[in-house]
Amino acid sequence: MRVLQFGDSTLPVGAFAFSNALESALQTGIVHDVTTLEGFVLAATRQAASLDGVALLHAHRAACEGSLEGVLLADHALLSRRVGEEQRLMTTRMGKKLAELGAKLPDAGMVPTWLDEIRQGRTPGCYAIAHALMFADRRLPEEDAFTVHQYGVASMMLGAALRMMKIDHYDTQQLLYRVNGTANDAYQHSRQLSLDEMSGFAPVFDVLVAHHVGAHVRMFMN
Amino acid sequence: MMRDAELLAQLGELGGLPELAGYQDHPAQMPAGAPGKVGLLRLGFELRNDRSILADLYRKTPLLVQQALYWDEAMPQLPICMVTSIGGGILQGDRLGIYVTVGAGACAHVTTQGANRVHAMDANYASQVQTLVLDEDAYLEYMPEVTIPYRHARYASLTRIVLPASATLVCSESVMSGRKHHAERFAYDVLSLRTEVRRPDGTLLFTEKLLAEPAGGSLALPGVMAGFDVFGNLLILTSPSIAERICARVSPRFDRAEGVASGLSRLPGEAGLMFRVVGQESHQVRERIRECWQVVREEATGHTLPAEFRWR
Repeated sequence: MRVLQFGDSTLPVGAFAFSNALESALQTGIVHDVTTLEGFVLAATRQAASLDGVALLHAHRAACEGSLEGVLLADHALLSRRVGEEQRLMTTRMGKKLAELGAKLPDAGMVPTWLDEIRQGRTPGCYAIAHALMFADRRLPEEDAFTVHQYGVASMMLGAALRMMKIDHYDTQQLLYRVNGTANDAYQHSRQLSLDEMSGFAPVFDVLVAHHVGAHVRMFMN
Repeated sequence: MMRDAELLAQLGELGGLPELAGYQDHPAQMPAGAPGKVGLLRLGFELRNDRSILADLYRKTPLLVQQALYWDEAMPQLPICMVTSIGGGILQGDRLGIYVTVGAGACAHVTTQGANRVHAMDANYASQVQTLVLDEDAYLEYMPEVTIPYRHARYASLTRIVLPASATLVCSESVMSGRKHHAERFAYDVLSLRTEVRRPDGTLLFTEKLLAEPAGGSLALPGVMAGFDVFGNLLILTSPSIAERICARVSPRFDRAEGVASGLSRLPGEAGLMFRVVGQESHQVRERIRECWQVVREEATGHTLPAEFRWR
C-alpha cells in the first residue's frame, strides 16, 4: 500500500510542473508521434536508471544502515552530475517537497534530519534521495524504491505529453506498460554500480534542456 | 612536477571500469601497456618576464610535442603546443597519459595535429588519462580535434581538472559516430568519457561520465543520437561573472534543416558552463564550438580568435 501511495502521480511534489525537456522535444520536432514519444521516454528512463537510480540505491543502503553521511554523499554526488539549472531545479524542488511531506508522516525516520540539512544549505536535496529515504525508513526494499522512481519519471513525461500533443490515455497507458517492462533489467544493472560509475549519454536531450531554458513559449517550468 | 612513476600509476586507473570488464585480453601483436604503447606527455606553462612559455616538456612515444609556437595573430602571447601521436592514432592496448600545468597568470593553447582515430580492435581497449592543473588567473585552451572511434573500438578517458575560481579553462571534446562515409556508424563497442573538476582544496565542483555502448540500442533513441552523427562538448570553467557575460551572448539554436543543434547550460557548483552540440557532420559541430570558443576568449581575455587556417 505504501508503494502505491509513494508512486502515485498525484503525490504533491510538483511533478506536473515539469516536462523533462519533452516540451522542447516537441517544439523542435524530435518527438512528433507515439513512436518517437516512446523512444524519448525510454531514453529518459535509461538516463534516470544509470544516474539518479544509482544514487537512490546508495542512499537507500546508507539509510538502512542509519548513515546520514552516506545519504549526503549520494545527494552531493548526484547533484554534481546534473548539468543545466532546470534539471537541478526540478530534482531539488521535488526532493524538498517530498521531504516536507515525509516529515509530516508517521515513521518519518531520517527524513526530518535530512530536510533540516537541506534548509541549512548543507545538502542539495535531490528527488531520488528523498525517494530512497521514504522507502528505507519503512524498510521497503530498494528494488521497489528504484522501480517506483523509474515509474515516476515516465508518468511525469506522459502526463506532460497528454497536455501537449495529440495522444490519448490509451496510447499513454500502453506506452507506460511497455516502458515499465524495462525497469527490472535496469535495476539489475544499476544495483552493481558505484557512485563513481553513475553515467549518462543523451547529447540531444542535453541540448534540448538548454533550449528549454531559453525558450520564449513555455507551458512547463524551468 | 609529476614524475614517470606517478604518471604511469594513473594510467592503470581505468582498467577496472565495469564497461571494460569484457575486454581484458591482450593483443596478439604486443601486450597492452608494453613499451611503445604507453605514451606520456607532461607540459608545464609558466609566466616568465611577462611572457607565457613552455617551461617543462617531457614526452614518451607515441605522444610527441616538439616545442611551443606563437602563431595566433589575435593573441600573439599565447604559446601553442600541438600534440602528435606518432602511432597514427590510438591502437588497442595503448595507455596514454597527458599532464598539463599552467602557472599563475600564464596562458596556453594545446591542440592535436589531426583527428584522434581510435582504430578497430579485436582485443583489449585503449585509455587516456588527462590531468589539467591551473594556477591563479591562468588561462588554458585545451582543444583536441574530433575523436573517431572505429569498428569495435573500446576507448575510455578520464579528464581530471583542478583550478581556482580566478582561472579559466576551455576544454573541447567531440566524437563522431565512426567512419560514417565507410558505412561505419556507431559500430564501436565502448566509449567512456569521464570528467572531474575540483578546486585546489579538493572540493568537487562537477563531474560527468558519458558512457555510450551502441550494442544496447539506446543510441538510436530520440534524445540520444537519433538523427545526428557527431556530438561535441565545450567545457567552460570560469568565474560566475565571466560565465554570465558568455551566457548573454550564446543563444540555443536548433536547426533541423541543417541538422545541427547547440545550447549552453550552467554547471553545478558555479563551476562555469557546458556548451553542447549535436550535428550530422563534424565540420558543423566544429564551427559551433569555434563560435562559442570565440565568445569565451573575448570575455575571458579581451582577445578574439584569428581567422581559421584554410587547411584545418
